[in-house]
Amino acid sequence: MSSILKINNINKIFINNNGSDKAVLQNVNFEVEENEFIVVFGPGQCGKTTLLNIIAGLEKQSSGQVFIKDKLVEKAGPDRAVVFQNIQLFPWLTALKNVEYSMKIRGFSKEEYHSEAMKYLELVGLKGFENSYPIKLSGGMKQRVGIARAYCTKPDVMLMDEPFGALDAQTRYLMQDEVLRICNTEKRTIVFITNNIEEALYLADRIVVMSDCPSTVKEVVKIDLTHPRDRTDSEFLRLRKEISAMVNRKR
Amino acid sequence: MALKIRNEGVRKFFWGFLSIFLVFVLWYFASQLDHMKNLLPNPINVIKFIGISVIAPIGKTTLFGHLYWSMTRVMTGYILASIVGIILGFFCGWSKLGSALIKPIYSVLRSIPSIAWIPLAILWFGIGENSKYFIIFISTMLIIMTNVIDGVKDVDESYLDVARMLGTKENQLFLHIVLPCAVPQIFNGLQVALGAAWATVIAAEMVRSSKGVGWLILMGQTSMNMTQVFAGIIVIGLVGLTLALIMRWLESKLCAWNIRGK
Amino acid sequence: MKNRLSDNKYKMIAFINIVVVITVWYLLSEVFQVFRNGMLPGPNVILETFISKLNSKSPDGNTLLVHIVSSLTVVITGYIIGVVIGLPTGIFMAWYRPIDYLVRPVFDFLRCIPGLAWIPVITVWLGIDLKAKAAIIFVNVFVGTVVNVYSGIKQTDQVKIWVAQIFGASHFEILKRVALPSALPYIFTGLKVSLGMAWLGIIAAELLAAQSGLGYMIQVARNFGRADLVIVGMLTIGLIGAFLTYLLEKVEHIFVKGRN
Ligand SMILES: Nc1ncnc2c1ncn2[C@@H]1O[C@H](COP(=O)(O)OP(=O)(O)OP(=O)(O)O)[C@@H](O)[C@H]1O
Ligand SMILES: [Mg+2]
Repeated sequence: MSSILKINNINKIFINNNGSDKAVLQNVNFEVEENEFIVVFGPGQCGKTTLLNIIAGLEKQSSGQVFIKDKLVEKAGPDRAVVFQNIQLFPWLTALKNVEYSMKIRGFSKEEYHSEAMKYLELVGLKGFENSYPIKLSGGMKQRVGIARAYCTKPDVMLMDEPFGALDAQTRYLMQDEVLRICNTEKRTIVFITNNIEEALYLADRIVVMSDCPSTVKEVVKIDLTHPRDRTDSEFLRLRKEISAMVNRKR
Repeated sequence: MALKIRNEGVRKFFWGFLSIFLVFVLWYFASQLDHMKNLLPNPINVIKFIGISVIAPIGKTTLFGHLYWSMTRVMTGYILASIVGIILGFFCGWSKLGSALIKPIYSVLRSIPSIAWIPLAILWFGIGENSKYFIIFISTMLIIMTNVIDGVKDVDESYLDVARMLGTKENQLFLHIVLPCAVPQIFNGLQVALGAAWATVIAAEMVRSSKGVGWLILMGQTSMNMTQVFAGIIVIGLVGLTLALIMRWLESKLCAWNIRGK
Repeated sequence: MKNRLSDNKYKMIAFINIVVVITVWYLLSEVFQVFRNGMLPGPNVILETFISKLNSKSPDGNTLLVHIVSSLTVVITGYIIGVVIGLPTGIFMAWYRPIDYLVRPVFDFLRCIPGLAWIPVITVWLGIDLKAKAAIIFVNVFVGTVVNVYSGIKQTDQVKIWVAQIFGASHFEILKRVALPSALPYIFTGLKVSLGMAWLGIIAAELLAAQSGLGYMIQVARNFGRADLVIVGMLTIGLIGAFLTYLLEKVEHIFVKGRN
């Protein structure tokens, strides 16, 4: 199998306002294979968003490279669609227009982008809300639009930054199942970020476990459980314990 | 003590009616006092005056005629100013070069109150219509420019990032992100500017004119006809109110995404 | 680093731009004389007029400084009275429901009448002396202050009010400790807008009827066809207006931003 996304020795050092350095990422390495569901799991504030922004090309790394399909990433582009932690829909566009946006701006024909956008809106279960503005949608619905928008960009890799972090537990479970369902219908390469171990185990093909700040990759764990997974299954619980221990372990 | 009235609309109407009615009554009794004779007109006469002047001319034309003249002046200057102000505002707010070229002159002109342009406008364009168009134009254009510049400055940087991520090219950012993002602020500018235009035209007509509602009230003053002055003021207020309502309605249509609906 | 460099570049462009504009202005109006009979005198003439007006009393009978002081006296008197009466009116209107219901419709209408429209009424009632001018400023300032203070207080976060109620604060205490502090930024915005209105109002009043003041000065200058003096007057008006706003911003800084 070929790897579609390669993270090569990424380092990131922020300069604080007072001039002091803050190392956030340290020699981060991992690869993602085509159609794989990778979950990056790490404690809060460890630099997950920073890593994702670097992959997306929204932030510059201090050193190291990101390759997508063996091409060096230099700036943001539609081959890497992001579902943001804080959603970031365009408030002046309706749900449908938000989803259509990327294909439209890249010059697809109207029939094409319209039917695609409708398809994905339906896929995320938002049929009937095409013409609502984001301000009138609930948090969960907005996040669904965000996911549909990312899908409709037709990216090589989808980058999802704690997309369900702001949702209540019930909706969160629901959305996890939704994502798996959507993934079954439309195979995609996904890099999914979370600080919730249960979520990681429920979704991932492989989990990239990050350490505390400055973050390195502790380990990459392959999860062989079959879907749908049972959160109370003994193997599930064992893995949960093991991975939690990894994060806290001294390097 | 406040009466408990459930329905919001009925409540507003009730209190609005009561409040205006009370003012009217107070005004009536005040106008009946002896030493108020030539200072405060009888409100009933004022209403009558408005009614009559719809058909009977005051000076050169009827009330509607004067309103028509004032509105023409406002609209000519205002529409021109909107076009120029929006274009210059975007140029100044979005492009650094534009800012370097326009900002210095803009900052100087911006600090001059609209009324202070009246004498210069008369010197330059004479006492005819052109000087009034110019005064309205220059004062509203600067207000609109200010709002457009602020609107562009306030565009959230993260929207630009998201747009790039979705495949927007640098030269598309303006049309697809900056412009729609700035619409509410621009609209605010257009709203404020229209109010200012209305105030300015009244002043300009008071300083030098032979028709228009500004002339109407100044004429009332010179001929000591307080009924005419108050009738003029009420009409000015009604028109101001109508303009504000129209703009608010337009805003609710055009900026629906920005307003929390029911 | 790169940004700093390009910023400097644009500062240079702005500077060159100013120089070019002034030069072209000079050439057009003084060397080629394209504007008929001195409609737009050159920058050098404006400067000369400004300097000479500091001592000269022609054509309007007073030096520039006297006009400035005259306008400022009226503005400050009218402004202070307007604010002192407008502030409590706005507060009570917003905070005590019966007053709100009864007075608000009237104010909704009053705010639609430009303050300048009252000039004829006040001229008939009070004449054209300082008292009358101050009254015009007062009307301009009063309505604006009331409207802004009112909406500022109405914006108070309901949750904060509930919290205060739970802690047993009285209606008046809540006003003092919760509503007023949180309305402060709006109040200052209102004060700034009103100041602009006051400054505009005095110019309008002086254009119409006065024997001194900057508005009077530019009106007389127009009658004499003195474009140079009109422009000097306009620039002075602009400069003083900007300075007054600047002063008020300083005060705002102390009151609003200084706390946190
Ligand atoms: N622009 C910046 N300048 C300085 N420090 C920054 C900047 N952005 C992020 N940081 C710091 O880098 C660290 C990692 O931030 P990041 O947002 O990547 O963490 P995270 O793992 O996504 O956190 P969360 O779980 O809360 O989403 C934080 O300590 C943050 O304060
Ligand atoms: Mg994050």
